[in-house]
Amino acid sequence: MALWELFTIAILPYLAIAVLVLGLGYKIIYWLKAPVNLHWELFPYPRTSGEQAGELLTEVFTLRSLYMHNRRIWLPSLVMHYGIYLVVFWLLFLVVGLPLAVYLGVTGGCLVAAGSLLLFLSRLINPELRRISEPVEYLNLAFLFLLAVAGLIGGVFRDFSFRTYIISLLTLKPHLSLPDNYLFFLLLFWLFMLYIPFTRMAHFAVKYFTYHKVKWGEME
Amino acid sequence: MRKVFDDYRVLSDESLKPDEPRVEKFLQAMKKSLQKKDNWTFWLPYTLSLDTCMKCGTCAEVCPVYLASGKKDIYHPVYRSDMLRKVYKRYFTLPGRLFPALVGAEDLTEEKLNAMAENIYRCTICRRCAYVCPVAIDNGVIAREARKIFDAIDIAPDELKKNGTQKQIKFGNATGTPANAFLDMIEFLEEEIEDTKGYKVKIPVDKEGAEYLLMHNAGDYLAFAETVMGAAEVMDAAGVDWTLNSPATGVNDAVNYGVFYSDVEFTNVLKAHVETAKKMGIKTLVVGECGHAYEALKYLMLRLIPPAERPFEVKSILELEDEWIREGRIKVNPEKNPEPVTYHDSCKLGRLGGMYEEPRRILKACCQDFRELTPNREMSICCGGGSGFAIMEKGDFRKFRMETYGKLKAEQLKASGASIIALACSNCKGQFREIINYYRLPVRFAGISELIANALVR
Ligand code: SF4
Ligand code: SF4
Repeated sequence: MALWELFTIAILPYLAIAVLVLGLGYKIIYWLKAPVNLHWELFPYPRTSGEQAGELLTEVFTLRSLYMHNRRIWLPSLVMHYGIYLVVFWLLFLVVGLPLAVYLGVTGGCLVAAGSLLLFLSRLINPELRRISEPVEYLNLAFLFLLAVAGLIGGVFRDFSFRTYIISLLTLKPHLSLPDNYLFFLLLFWLFMLYIPFTRMAHFAVKYFTYHKVKWGEME
Repeated sequence: MRKVFDDYRVLSDESLKPDEPRVEKFLQAMKKSLQKKDNWTFWLPYTLSLDTCMKCGTCAEVCPVYLASGKKDIYHPVYRSDMLRKVYKRYFTLPGRLFPALVGAEDLTEEKLNAMAENIYRCTICRRCAYVCPVAIDNGVIAREARKIFDAIDIAPDELKKNGTQKQIKFGNATGTPANAFLDMIEFLEEEIEDTKGYKVKIPVDKEGAEYLLMHNAGDYLAFAETVMGAAEVMDAAGVDWTLNSPATGVNDAVNYGVFYSDVEFTNVLKAHVETAKKMGIKTLVVGECGHAYEALKYLMLRLIPPAERPFEVKSILELEDEWIREGRIKVNPEKNPEPVTYHDSCKLGRLGGMYEEPRRILKACCQDFRELTPNREMSICCGGGSGFAIMEKGDFRKFRMETYGKLKAEQLKASGASIIALACSNCKGQFREIINYYRLPVRFAGISELIANALVR
């Protein structure tokens, strides 16, 4: 086994998870330590934790702001986000050991690939979006697209026995024999995890602050 | 004046000094603005907004300036925020230092600095975009923080600084009206009420220990006296213990232009307000029809001045009027205002202040035919008078106000079919006065208090 293969299978995962956890943790603590700002709420806003959870879930699962005000990228965006949610559940289901996982994985992979491709094209084609996009925006979408395609073509998403590898990682005894065509996916996957904390793709964590601490203010 | 951004110039050459080197000073001031110790007031929304814009363009879909300009690039909310964001990335973030081209980090030049200084005064910080942004990124707060950085290196519109906050601190009001002239004006208004309405209303001034100290935007005495008279009639009809104050007592102008461009200036004016109220020993400081003054005294003050140091309540005059009508403390007859009336939600009272119902209940009680503008409330379109624009004229700026926000408001107003537009904010009144002239609309504007006074049953 080549060194880089060993690295991808058995070392990179731990490195990536460590960076992901520490990176996100650092970000979250950094914002948590922010001084309480002057009141800057936008009215009306949900006042109880129930109402706030309701709004949050609506936004997460329907991307309502885009639907209401920026319809042309709503569908691709929704497709991509649902793909990501499904891939996250694919991993969870694999760990738990539910065979349903493979359906989630394959569907999720397809949705991520389709959504990221469409978003990439919208950015490129729509002059308004193109003007405000930096190269990194395309890079992020391309990264997601490649990752999903590698997972689909390599067959990882539809392979329930991939569970063995995940469990072996979790039990700190990385299982080294994996089909060759999984390697590219794994490399991208772990690099992606490593990359997230450094990018705006951490917006899922940041939203807590922009909504709960600023737009909605402190809970009464 | 030389062109530095678009066809307008709000900053004078004396203030902008477009040909002098300022980049270094700017970067120093910006560095300070990013320190939470030095700039805690809006540090969280400011840094979050610099960091996490997804470049989805949703903000642009609702920005009045961008839409009304026919979607000119330079007025895109993200284009404006990116002027500061690119500098932020280049000088203050690691990815920006390592991979500038990839993340869009750029060196600041004197030319870019000139353009940014002007462009941050093409946004009224109406925060309509922040309301719809999926990530709740706030282009308004970025514009305001940029204004603060520029102010720290002494670049600010004269209307807001030299003739605004600094004049207000010196004279007690931004109009520069001395106490004796103020008292004459009040006498004149009393006579005016008697002449037009046929009854006498005593307007108390400088009464210590009153229940209510009513503080108007001082510009109202000169430009929108109907509002001042209307409020006096309402106070009088309610039979409450109230007073106005003259500059002899301290500050007698509710405005605080610091809200628009500087926390330092903002705090100075705010403290002067608090001192005046304390000195007069009043129970409630009533903010007249002025949006940003309400935001400042009702919300921004809360975490800036400890409760023990402000032993009085703050209310908007709209809250009191609404309460009094509902209690039957004042009686109104809607037949006295038969024309179709509509209402414009001031950003500061609405999106930023949450006051949506009070003005509507008042108007429905006082007018026979109340109509909504579409859209309204939290999606209300800024009139274009916000963040100081209403008093900014030079460099052909009125045209900018009319051709952007003004255009949209004129269309909305026409579609409503109303012949009176009711306004609860002085800056909105200033802007609508111009819109009505510029677009020759068969409409007049009126203050809420004026319409209530019209409908009073005495
Ligand atoms: S809507 Fe928000 S996230 Fe999207 S481009 Fe505008 S500011 Fe950025
Ligand atoms: S705050 Fe208002 S004017 Fe400024 S960018 Fe946002 S929507 Fe446009």
